[in-house]
Amino acid sequence: MTDATVGAAAEVTSLAVPSESGPGATARRSGSPRWRYTLTVLVITLVLLIPVFVTVMLAFRPQLQSTSHSFLTLENFSYVFSQTQVLTWLRNSLIVTLATVVVAVIISAPAGYVLSRSRSKAVSGYALLLFAAQAFPQIVSIVPLFVLFASFGLDDNLLGLAILYVSMTISVATWMMAAYFDTIPVALEEAAWIDGCSLFGGFLRIVLRNSLPGVLSTAIFAFLLAWSDFLIAVVFLRSDSNFTLPIGLQTFFSTNNTEWGYVMAVSVIVLVPPVLVFSFLHRHFSIGGIGGSLAGR
Amino acid sequence: MTSTQARSSSVLNGLSRARKGVGLGGRGEKTPRPPRRFFNRTITLALLVIPSVVLVVLIYGYPAIYAAYQSLHNGNLVEVGEYVGLQNYSLVLHDPVFWQSVEFTAIFCVVGVFGSWAVGLALALLLRKRIHAPGFFKTLLLLPWVVPVVVTATSWKWLVATPSSPVPRITQDLGLGQLLFLASPGLAKVIVCVYKVWLSFPFMMLMASAALAGVEEELYEAARVDGASSWQQFRRITLPMIARSTYISWVLMFIFCIGDFQSIYLLTGGGPVQSTSTLVVLAYETIFGNFQTGPGIAIGFMMMLVSVVVAVVLFRRIRKAATS
Repeated sequence: MTDATVGAAAEVTSLAVPSESGPGATARRSGSPRWRYTLTVLVITLVLLIPVFVTVMLAFRPQLQSTSHSFLTLENFSYVFSQTQVLTWLRNSLIVTLATVVVAVIISAPAGYVLSRSRSKAVSGYALLLFAAQAFPQIVSIVPLFVLFASFGLDDNLLGLAILYVSMTISVATWMMAAYFDTIPVALEEAAWIDGCSLFGGFLRIVLRNSLPGVLSTAIFAFLLAWSDFLIAVVFLRSDSNFTLPIGLQTFFSTNNTEWGYVMAVSVIVLVPPVLVFSFLHRHFSIGGIGGSLAGR
Repeated sequence: MTSTQARSSSVLNGLSRARKGVGLGGRGEKTPRPPRRFFNRTITLALLVIPSVVLVVLIYGYPAIYAAYQSLHNGNLVEVGEYVGLQNYSLVLHDPVFWQSVEFTAIFCVVGVFGSWAVGLALALLLRKRIHAPGFFKTLLLLPWVVPVVVTATSWKWLVATPSSPVPRITQDLGLGQLLFLASPGLAKVIVCVYKVWLSFPFMMLMASAALAGVEEELYEAARVDGASSWQQFRRITLPMIARSTYISWVLMFIFCIGDFQSIYLLTGGGPVQSTSTLVVLAYETIFGNFQTGPGIAIGFMMMLVSVVVAVVLFRRIRKAATS
């Protein structure tokens, strides 16, 4: 009788929390592990993000010799916006980055489709070419590229910069697109082909229309890469008015007396766009799939 | 997935063959079907891939050949200079600074790859536990990778570099003395490696999360029934199941590490006394600091050779992990 009651009670509790299966079920007995794990993750996250918090904090803190007595201030921002060319650099960065994102998606989406759907020798060779391009050190190609671009007047030029950024993103972007296309059943296209749709039509109307998350992932990747590049910009850009934000930021450092408030204000301006893009679109961002896309061929 | 694709592509070939057959057989009929389906398919695929091939050849192929040519000449940024054969390479190989860079590059890559992998995998496993708001934490933990390096290098510099920075002050209060992290060669190396792990763990976390999502929960349940400890479950189930993705993430991270210029250059500039200068930073300094294009590019090529060898070795292991 008692045994049966206990058994029934146990059954009721297990019914009451049907979702409590897997790892949680065994740990449930010792207090509330869910909160403990959450707290652990919270502490780790806070510690790991100290450098990011520091940037934001210093940007809003008054300078030492400042007359204002408030704890928070916008004077660092008003200084860099009014006294320096930050707005021009911000505009340059936005133009170059957006151009890179659009062109990178337009080029890598069809290439990723070929990589995903075709199994021919030529495509394997192309996959190898992409890998070689990714492994090729920028530092080796940068001098010949500078000479080449200078002969077309594309050095110290935002268009030249965008072309280089597109080529920098192309390998990973193509793998990301291919990885996403792999998840779309070929049967969908086959149905369209039987209905008289061309291969290109099938790609455009069936595959690409169902690949918004893949396209967004690739776009985010291209955005992050183009927005934060330093090496290419520092070699190619010479005049102040053509600087992108990462290069502009370097002008605030001086050997003796760096005004950290101004540096951090510009830093915040550099970090806000990628963080905004990422916080709105992170649900769509997945790069882990490129593993399968790389090893499969 | 692959098997589905293989099947459907064979269906497609069969289809085009059948069409061809109809075309050939029905030549005398009034409505002959031209056997162009296969031809069309190849042409369309080629057209889809051509822009990307052109870009890769133009931006990687041409400079590779031109750079190889430059590495055999004693030129500078403007002129190609005289032909000197392999002299640049021997010059570099006899330079002690080069070997010092090789050593630090090796340290930097090993710590960068395995450090970020360990941290990333640990966090990916932790985020799989039943916690509150996992998506929120996952997004926050990606910030070190999302925030541009120019920004984080600046804040790391502020945290450790100057005498008034917080970290040296804390070590002083702890009685360790005032540690000037970017002024001593040994400490600078440590900081650069820690910074690289901090920058890269989110990428490894993403790769590990994607791989872990593919491991079936039943495997763990079966192992628990058999009495396997959580370490045994990790060692015998988790690691083998994600092995392929792990090797790929190592290859990618190795390439990212060996080619990484900006995180080192922006944090330490390769100093003090070139202690944190990897091969890329050394090549940059040689080309743009000393205007010696030939030796600089020679360093770059030797670096590429190493990365290709390592990538090929790791890819062999991936193939093995994929077939077993």
